[in-house]
Amino acid sequence: MEHILLRDLDIPDIRNFDVYVANGGYEGLKKAVREHTPEEVIQIVLESNLRGRGGAGFPTGRKWSFIPKDAPIKYVVVNADESEPGTFKDRQILEKNPHQLIEGAMIAAYAIQATAVYIYCRGEFWDLAHALEEEIEAARQANLVGDDVLGSGWNCPVYVHLGAGAYICGEESALLNSLQGLLGQPRVRPPFPAQPGGGLYYAPTVVNNVETLANVPWIILNGAAAYKAIGTPESSGVKIFCLSGHVARPGNYELPFGITFRELIFEHGGGIPNGKKLKAILPSGASGPVLPATGEVLDAPLTYESVAALGSTLGSASFILMDEDTDMVWAAAKMTHFFKHESCGKCTPCREGTYWLERIYRRLLRGEGTMRDLELLKSIPRNMQGGVTLCALGEFAANPVLSTVQHFYAEYEEYVRHAEATREARQAAEQMHDYTLGEAGELPEAVGQGGVR
Amino acid sequence: MTETVTFYIDGQAYQVAKGTNLVDAAKMHDIDIPVFCYHPKLKPVGMCRMCLVELGSLSVNRETGEVERDEHGEPVFRWFPRLQTACTQVVTDGLAVRTTTEAVVQGRNSILEFLLTSHPLDCPVCDKGGECPLQNLTMGYGPGESRFLIDDKIRLDKHVPLGELIYLDRERCIQCARCTRFCDEIVGDDVLAFHERGRRLQIVTISDPPFDTKFSGNTTDICPVGALTTADFRFGARPWELQEEATICPHCPVGCNLSAGTRLDRDAGGKKIIKRIMPRQNEWVNEIWICDKGRFGHHHTRAEGRLEQPMLKQNGAWVPIDWPAAYDLVAAKLRQYGDSLGVLAGPSLSNEDLWELRKLAGLVASEPKLGVWPAAMTGGDLVAQVGVGSGTMLRAVGPETAILVIASDFEEEAPIWWLQVKQAADRGAAVVVANARPTKLDRYARAVVRYRYGEAVSVLNGFAAQALKDKSLTGKLSESRVAGLSQLRAALKGVKPAFGDAGRMLLSAENLIIFAGGEGLSVAQHRELMQAAANLLILTGRAGRANSGLVAVWPGANMQGAYDLGYSAEATQALLDTPPRMWIIGAANPVAEDARAARAITGAEFVVATSLFMTPTSEAADLVLPRQSFAEREGTFTNGMRRVQRFYTVQGIIGDSLPDWKIFAAIGERLNGPKARISAGAVMKDITAHVPAYAQASYPRLAQVERQFPLVGGDDLYYGGTAYFNLSGLGLAIPPVAEDGSAQLEVRPVTVDAPASTDADLSLIPVRVLYDRDVLFEPSRLMHHRVPPPSVELNQADAERLGIADGDRVAVEGDGYQITATARVDGRAPAGYALLPVRLSSTPAPTTPAACTVRKIGE
Ligand SMILES: Cc1cc2nc3c(=O)[nH]c(=O)nc-3n(C[C@H](O)[C@H](O)[C@H](O)COP(=O)(O)O)c2cc1C
Ligand code: SF4
Ligand code: SF4
Ligand code: SF4
Ligand code: FES
Repeated sequence: MEHILLRDLDIPDIRNFDVYVANGGYEGLKKAVREHTPEEVIQIVLESNLRGRGGAGFPTGRKWSFIPKDAPIKYVVVNADESEPGTFKDRQILEKNPHQLIEGAMIAAYAIQATAVYIYCRGEFWDLAHALEEEIEAARQANLVGDDVLGSGWNCPVYVHLGAGAYICGEESALLNSLQGLLGQPRVRPPFPAQPGGGLYYAPTVVNNVETLANVPWIILNGAAAYKAIGTPESSGVKIFCLSGHVARPGNYELPFGITFRELIFEHGGGIPNGKKLKAILPSGASGPVLPATGEVLDAPLTYESVAALGSTLGSASFILMDEDTDMVWAAAKMTHFFKHESCGKCTPCREGTYWLERIYRRLLRGEGTMRDLELLKSIPRNMQGGVTLCALGEFAANPVLSTVQHFYAEYEEYVRHAEATREARQAAEQMHDYTLGEAGELPEAVGQGGVR
Repeated sequence: MTETVTFYIDGQAYQVAKGTNLVDAAKMHDIDIPVFCYHPKLKPVGMCRMCLVELGSLSVNRETGEVERDEHGEPVFRWFPRLQTACTQVVTDGLAVRTTTEAVVQGRNSILEFLLTSHPLDCPVCDKGGECPLQNLTMGYGPGESRFLIDDKIRLDKHVPLGELIYLDRERCIQCARCTRFCDEIVGDDVLAFHERGRRLQIVTISDPPFDTKFSGNTTDICPVGALTTADFRFGARPWELQEEATICPHCPVGCNLSAGTRLDRDAGGKKIIKRIMPRQNEWVNEIWICDKGRFGHHHTRAEGRLEQPMLKQNGAWVPIDWPAAYDLVAAKLRQYGDSLGVLAGPSLSNEDLWELRKLAGLVASEPKLGVWPAAMTGGDLVAQVGVGSGTMLRAVGPETAILVIASDFEEEAPIWWLQVKQAADRGAAVVVANARPTKLDRYARAVVRYRYGEAVSVLNGFAAQALKDKSLTGKLSESRVAGLSQLRAALKGVKPAFGDAGRMLLSAENLIIFAGGEGLSVAQHRELMQAAANLLILTGRAGRANSGLVAVWPGANMQGAYDLGYSAEATQALLDTPPRMWIIGAANPVAEDARAARAITGAEFVVATSLFMTPTSEAADLVLPRQSFAEREGTFTNGMRRVQRFYTVQGIIGDSLPDWKIFAAIGERLNGPKARISAGAVMKDITAHVPAYAQASYPRLAQVERQFPLVGGDDLYYGGTAYFNLSGLGLAIPPVAEDGSAQLEVRPVTVDAPASTDADLSLIPVRVLYDRDVLFEPSRLMHHRVPPPSVELNQADAERLGIADGDRVAVEGDGYQITATARVDGRAPAGYALLPVRLSSTPAPTTPAACTVRKIGE
């Protein structure tokens, strides 16, 4: 089957505007603008059961329908902050098939009658962002973006914005703050981005993931029913699965929802190298709970619903695979370090909880852990979940700890029992460069003294 | 009327106005939902997560619309599965919260545990210890013991200066953003921000100079921990050692209510002194805020050099004498010069002082000339006619109210009013700023009106003419209520309404408040301005209403009181025109401030001055009497909105100093006057008997309090901050005459004097700055870095013509004065004018506009 999203695998030069157009590019936008009212476009996307690929899986058509029709200013913001560990799918679209994103974003913009589109790229994507700007210009010259799009009288420029390298700026409200030039911290919701007061510059805004929008041209061209026919009734369509870690053929795989873990990992990914056994799976990067590689798990279908039933989340479908030699305490420590480093610090449980957890892991890795520390690892993360944090990052941060403690407790006990740490673990602890302890020294001098002097 | 809705806390039903914040709503019913980041005067941010509750709603049957009930007839609620922050929730009908369930208790407990993990726990040496929300809420809701290993604690800088006045302890900060939000939302000064993220999130100052705002001290009150401390108080005392005394700020016409934290201090020889000044809540006046001048400008109360004994000049040398000798001498001189007596009352004499001074002058002169100092503004009598009506509350005004600020650099002259008007603008009030030059309030104005100095009156006449065209506004006026109406109508006939947009904004709102300053106006011109303002208020029917009326932005704390008790700037002018042979100068420093006054005073035969220090005015006197500062005695000030407010004895007496009223009364006794009263309260009783407007202003009445919202201080400091709960009086707002529907009002046509053309280079315009070298402020040394050096602002074109560049040393000269200053060419001065901030130079300059030349001088 031909790819819907990763079309660069079928048509290598599709990143070029002419090649994209020669292969049916922008026909979806033309069809939407010329043959459909904005309401019809929303209806088609609603019926296709396209769900957000940024992690939460929220129905895209529903999200668009929340935008008030009468608002004078409305935005579409494309979330290209892709920072989840093990996630590299949006990158391939941006790099290899950018026009499909631009087209999808323009259809979304048409559907809500947006006044502008912003594409927020993570700071590390600066090269992609510059290239993307050129492709946008090509589309603008072809009257597909900008003033009077396709002669419809509707104006909608597309801008690219670079973040400064913060995971939290992938969270939609923090992203909006960052885009506005404010500190990248999440906002209190409600109001949600779609509501007046909640969006970009406080105007109603749709925030969608890159992959989500890249599906839209196909849906408009081929119809909602055709898309819905792919995958399962609840999790419809195709999904890009990112495979990384201990796997023979890491990379992006565009597959219909509903294939099993086993198919993904062993058929498409080529299994675990060096004849090792698979021990654990992170199905959604660092932010979802770890699953032990049991038969039950491997035979489960990859849908939002079934992964949730297993006690994890499909999220952005970033599969990090760990073989039998993986030290799960070390893995949890790495993830904890990541979340501590990326917590925005706005709310207490996440700011303090990630810091505290990291301290405990450092002790464990150094061989100084105690049973009391293991008790803390069971209870601290619980106090970070259950609605007590302002955004989901705090909840994410608790997942690797809770799930490894649940499934691999013996390994933790092992750490405590062997009070003398292994040399490797000690090194790992040292490698975990600590920004926080060096705090005052590391801040720019002006800041250390209280600010501008 | 806002709709009232019913909501439920732990099963109990309560009523509150729809849309009230849930934490506030609970608080109004004396139920505590603990908070750190939420503050009732700031927008919620949901950061600290302390306010977690279970949220639900009344279960209503969809078909019948009836509330569902269980078998006991109790209403049934539906609950959200997860905890929610109460501070981000507004109350709607049927909303329910549970605050005592296992989940909530555990949630609060864990938030406190998290907050305490990296907290330094240096309560024993922390300034906030004893009045710390974190301490209190930990006691109330926190874990009993710590599970955190002390070695894991984060270590951060503990003495980070955020500018010269405020220090940050990074370890204590709990990242609640109250301080940054105060600066951003309330003040609008972009000076503080968060830097970095995660556990590295830090408060930094982002302005240059650092923490560049006039309101920085307030952040220390609302900081829920001891992270922010003032340079004035840090490590000065423990809060529980302090005795809080109620007082009123003596620096400006706002009349902020203060609480002075005092103790018997080793460093002051065991005397009771002020250790710190904090706001005292008065929602009618300053709410819970004060400016940095009020907070840090208290050192004059005990500074070195306070006069401790009466001092007599003998053969050019000062010799101490005792009080009876001093009284006798003044009495003798009054007998001798009574028919040629001049009285000057300073801006911060209390009403009781003013009353006794007036009585004293009346004993020797049939029509004593009672002058105010500084004599730059007038019209207090008009404020008495058409001042703001009963029930006026700046805090509460919004789109229904228009506010005109004219001829004033508002933030410099009345900081807290500025703050409140700025916030009123944020809430939708139509703020119009009229001045000859840009001022900071322009940023928040809906319209800005520029005129030429001296022509402020024409702006108001224009608005009045515009009002007359609108019959719905002015049609119902009658000559019987308003004397002079037809003359005014006739005079305004020819006036073309200028600034139509600004006029429409002012006239279309229900209410109109006019704040009138005196910038660029002579006393005579200022009277015309005040009259023009009164005309406008009367014509539009705005006089005598709540949130409407005229307010003078006086250059002092009690100038409205002085007018109410018969003093005036016109009397001062008359005295300077024909100087008397004897002067009594109460708490004023005219010799330092005004060249003409200096000449009139030094030329007199006998000058007696009450003073705190040896000032140029005391030096020029023959007898100097040591007065007590506001901190050492009781009294009342009448603020610019005509609220009479009591201040109390705060600290021990310095030397043999006495309150001015007692001094004047004792002298009066020697002139066969009535026996001196034994207390300030008794003096006020006399005032209530003789001054009808003050009939109700007895001390007991002024001490009355009411329940105010938000609650602050005491057990509620986690909620509103450590500002002090008001137990000592909210004062009494004196209604303007216009409020009495049967009272006759008077309007009078006013004309605009075209500013006299002179052959001098430029016209000198004295302008007021908050941080100056006033006697009451200069001794607060920690503020010296904020007091600018003497400067004069020039227009670019004038500067070029005169060969002067920004930063040059210049001489500013005119009739009888010469000062040196630094030239500022910063785009604020209109062409043809030199702006001279007053009370910055040690050499006297004019206090009202005058001709001048400016020339560059060597280095
Ligand atoms: C901590 C955090 C990080 C996130 N990072 C990303 C991201 O990098 N890219 C993304 O598309 N969505 C990310 N999200 C999800 C977004 O908040 C948002 O749900 C998404 O962009 C919506 O788009 P969708 O409906 O198309 O999925 C993140 C959410 C959280 C809480
Ligand atoms: S949960 Fe973490 S990342 Fe999210 S707002 Fe709170 S501190 Fe910031
Ligand atoms: S300094 Fe105080 S007010 Fe400011 S964020 Fe820290 S704790 Fe809050
Ligand atoms: S605003 Fe005026 S009255 Fe209030 S504290 Fe400042 S100087 Fe004092
Ligand atoms: S989150 Fe509600 S008070 Fe801080």
